Amino acid sequence: MKKAIMYVNQFFGQIGGEDKADFKPVIRAEQVGPVQPMAAQLHGEITHTVICGDNFMGSNTEEALAFIIGELEKLEFDLFIAGPAFQAGRYGVACGSVCRAVSRRFGVPVVTSMHVENPGVEMFKKDMYIMKGGNSAVKMRGNLADMARLCNKLLDGEPLLGAEAERYFARGIRHQAWTEGNSTAADRAVDMLLKRVRGEAFVTELPIPKLDRVPIATAIHDLSKAKVALVTSGGIVPVENPDKIQSASATRWGRYDISSMDRLESGVFKTIHAGYDPAAADADPNVVVPLDALREYEKEGRIGKLDDHFYTTVGTGTTQGEAQRMAREMVECLKKDGVDAVILTST
Amino acid sequence: MKLKIGNFHVKDIVFGSELSYRDGVLTIDKEKALDFVRQDPHITEAQLHIVKPGDMVRLFPVKEAVEPRIKTNGEPLFPGFSGPVTGAAEGETKALKGCSVLAVGRHWGGFQDGLIDMGGEGAKYTYFSGLINVVLVADTDETFEQKEQQKKNHAVRLAVHKLAEYLAACVKDLTPEDTDEYDFEPVTKRDSGKNGLPSVIYVMQLQSQMEEDGYNDLVYGWDANHMLPTFMNPNEILNGAVVSGSFMPCSSKWSTYDFQNAPVIRRLYEEDGKTLNFLGVVMSNLNVALEQKERSAVFVKELARSLGADAAIVAEEGYGNPDADFVACIAALEDAGVKTVGMTNECTGRDGQSQPLVTLDEKLTAIVSCGNVSELIELPPMPVVLGELESLARDGVSGGWSDDELLGPSVRPDGSIIMENNAMFCGDQVIGWSQKSMIEF
Repeated sequence: MKKAIMYVNQFFGQIGGEDKADFKPVIRAEQVGPVQPMAAQLHGEITHTVICGDNFMGSNTEEALAFIIGELEKLEFDLFIAGPAFQAGRYGVACGSVCRAVSRRFGVPVVTSMHVENPGVEMFKKDMYIMKGGNSAVKMRGNLADMARLCNKLLDGEPLLGAEAERYFARGIRHQAWTEGNSTAADRAVDMLLKRVRGEAFVTELPIPKLDRVPIATAIHDLSKAKVALVTSGGIVPVENPDKIQSASATRWGRYDISSMDRLESGVFKTIHAGYDPAAADADPNVVVPLDALREYEKEGRIGKLDDHFYTTVGTGTTQGEAQRMAREMVECLKKDGVDAVILTST
Repeated sequence: MKLKIGNFHVKDIVFGSELSYRDGVLTIDKEKALDFVRQDPHITEAQLHIVKPGDMVRLFPVKEAVEPRIKTNGEPLFPGFSGPVTGAAEGETKALKGCSVLAVGRHWGGFQDGLIDMGGEGAKYTYFSGLINVVLVADTDETFEQKEQQKKNHAVRLAVHKLAEYLAACVKDLTPEDTDEYDFEPVTKRDSGKNGLPSVIYVMQLQSQMEEDGYNDLVYGWDANHMLPTFMNPNEILNGAVVSGSFMPCSSKWSTYDFQNAPVIRRLYEEDGKTLNFLGVVMSNLNVALEQKERSAVFVKELARSLGADAAIVAEEGYGNPDADFVACIAALEDAGVKTVGMTNECTGRDGQSQPLVTLDEKLTAIVSCGNVSELIELPPMPVVLGELESLARDGVSGGWSDDELLGPSVRPDGSIIMENNAMFCGDQVIGWSQKSMIEF
């Protein structure tokens, strides 16, 4: 029989209310609170309940997660469940934090449930199945039933029908599927057009995400006094790729000292980017990271100084979220080093 | 301007001692048909096969599909390509329905070629598994491109266009089983009832990315890269004015069969005069340079405005770089107040998490989406392969690979395959057949 473990907060874990919100995490070999009705519906056994106070998880996240992960390492389980968290913000964020940590460490499916206005939805929906839940514990029964239905499909290895049909928040994962009723694209297009011209409601098959436009920075008045850094998404790294940056869908980046170099030598640097023919960049890495040209500019006084490091990652398949995070991390270093301007090169 | 397509609904195709059509059965004299194909000295090897829906047969590399037809006035089926340039907007054409003529390489495949499984779980990925197909497996003397990833495939593509006309000659003097009539009224000669309905144009963005001649779609034999968006009578597209090219990952391509049967045109004709006023087709393209993209978008917008279009359907034959044309064209139309529905496929990656189009614009509010080019597809071996399956792994086919550190080669020793949807023959069917969509998981 497959096994599952479930997380609840101090309230649903029957420790106490707001006064017990600092309760440190515990793991118990029993079914506490909502874990019992969940267990009754599950095609598997819930062996343990993890309980933690919402405030403790919020203010001591690393400590709490380290304890929980450490305890889970001693156990066997096929699925991890948390909540439902309804509209409770701290509880939602706690469920999301625990589920993400468990998913990353153990690779098992994780399922939680939140109300659409719970801040945990936006924070974690891309990382896990968050069922569309009710706003308060009045909806407990229905929410548990929804969660159990999805959990059972995951435990049974049954294919999912998509976010809409399964009632979880879309995770930004789009795949092709044969549509209900099998109408053709031509019919779908003409029907959609007729609805549009009649002013009737229609549903696009490709919702366009709100675009995050970055305003163009103000110009640098005197480039001859500016410190300039090179940043690339073209995957140029030292040949041994010391930071193990991925060739696609990167989550890692590197910062490498070029203070003693006038150019990037072939054989010392190469590209690990999987999205373009590497021949030209491997033969001359300066075509992607133009250190040679920038050194010339530096000598001619056209720029004040070139930064001692260049920064690199891989752009292909890399999500916008990861790219933003890596950029924020790079910016910290760039600011600390007094960099005024960045030349960002791609492939 | 009336086009009549007389239909003969083919129930079976067999080889026999004559070329004939009787009671739904097309009989082909195989040797005579092959002699006809071999009249082109560029064809160095040719075989003919018949495959039917459900047959456990895998075809690769498939290069083109054509519906067998003949024009009763003796004019060429594909003006400017298989014969001299003649008009295609009106007249009588006879068509063998439910079947196609497929071009398959005997050995060599390329970037643009695709796969068809006639039976089994792979059959659902292409429209052509649902047709009875006459399959020309051929090799040519085009040795200059045998080892090139990009192939013009000229000789074998021309061969199936001519073969399609050759086969349909047997129904030229027969009475069709039923007839489709496409009557395109000149736009200024329509009655007030029709003019009062919402006016709609269909914008077709033809594949035209290659700078060198010989790869792109042709319009009356003219390379779509060298044209500006133009207004066309939809009958011209249904009647052989447009011929498919030989560039673009295959699932995004539109075959000549697709143009001959363009489902959006046929549905718009059905609605014409009832719910809308079908103004016609604006034929556009997908050139690579930004200025060319912008110029085409301006032309489409101004044609739409000048024609008085209230609404438009825009469809792109491609993904990646062409997404920029698709998005720019829709944004331009929306800016001009033309309510637009777009038809496309997506490239969300094998994990489904990549941005669906290379560029996005919030003005795209109504999109029909037909598939994910990078979806991984794994299929068991097939007892019969026509062509050369190894080409899927060897020849730089989009969606196939020679090796992968996690997945291994696309073609395994036992004949099973793993590939991206990219390599399914005209698989995403953005032309309008597609019963696939894209959903969030």
